[in-house]
Amino acid sequence: MKKRIAVLVSLISLTLSAQTFAHFQLIYTPDAALENGGKIPLALVFTHPFDAGHTMDMGTPEQFFVLQTRGENPVKKMDLLDALVPISWQSLTNSGKAFKTDYTARGGDHIFCLVPDPYFEAEEDSYIQQMTKVIINVGGIPGAWMEPAGLPAEIVPLSKPYDRWTGNVFQGKVLYNGQPVPGAEIEIEHLNHEPLIARNAFASGPAVKAPQSSFELQTKFADDNGIFTFGIPKAGWWGFAALGLDEDATHKGKPCSKDAVIWIKAVDM
Amino acid sequence: MKPLKILMVLFAFGLFFTGICQAHTPLFSCFDNGDGSITCEGGFSDGSSAAGVAVRVVDKDGKVLMKDKLDKFSEYTVKKPAQEFSVIFDAGEGHQIKVPGKEIF
Repeated sequence: MKKRIAVLVSLISLTLSAQTFAHFQLIYTPDAALENGGKIPLALVFTHPFDAGHTMDMGTPEQFFVLQTRGENPVKKMDLLDALVPISWQSLTNSGKAFKTDYTARGGDHIFCLVPDPYFEAEEDSYIQQMTKVIINVGGIPGAWMEPAGLPAEIVPLSKPYDRWTGNVFQGKVLYNGQPVPGAEIEIEHLNHEPLIARNAFASGPAVKAPQSSFELQTKFADDNGIFTFGIPKAGWWGFAALGLDEDATHKGKPCSKDAVIWIKAVDM
Repeated sequence: MKPLKILMVLFAFGLFFTGICQAHTPLFSCFDNGDGSITCEGGFSDGSSAAGVAVRVVDKDGKVLMKDKLDKFSEYTVKKPAQEFSVIFDAGEGHQIKVPGKEIF
């Protein structure tokens, strides 16, 4: 009996561990490369993107802003925190507190940056804070997509994040407080259920079915310079999360995983 | 200069200019400001500035209604003509873009 209990505890622990690692802060908008400017929707959801599973309650973010940058012009920063509207986002298993807004985009790069309120993970008695970026472009004139946005933890793209064909590679550099993080652990997930932004919900049907759970959440490590490379196997949004970039970080006296997340969108040729 | 050398020099120049053309695709977009004016933004696909590039507003027959140059931010703001019009970004031969007024939102 003792052996059975030990095995059961071990299995539960593994399951919880897998769920924990699959948390992904999402900044969603339908397209990354737009031909024309105009109003675009944005949704901030803390979820499990591959299976559209358990969606966590978000607190009011610490920061949400956009860096507008076109050509050689100076970067303009616009605070978007006050524009956020609280919503309830429906996953396939529950609903969670999230946020939504509309944004008017003109030409150039728009680098959306989110510093969320740390999320308390009761099972681990610790916090998670995933600093998240997504970069979109209008009209094709690039801006400062390759420059750090100044987040405490961030992934800086080395490949233009909105010009990737399916089959290209994406390269990024993991920074913590502006310094590269050698050997950073990076988890990768496909946004496998289309977000139906008008309904604040994920579509029930997945884009792909994984043959085994390892394929749902891919893992790799950055090199000695904090750089990683990923071959993009399918069109759509892909999320990259560099985890636990500061082993000593705490929040309210408990450990806090400081993570950096970036989303990119690939399209088929 | 021997013919072979001349050919090599011409070939090198050809490569050089091809490179420039491919690396500098001109881009031009215009937006309706909703206050009776439009703003046009110019640039190149490598992010280089288009400040000083000529812009013209023309009517449907090509008659120039207004002309100017993009400012230091590679932008041009102008009152929206009442008649049918287009805005032309003119960075030289092969680098011209025409945006019809009816496509400016």
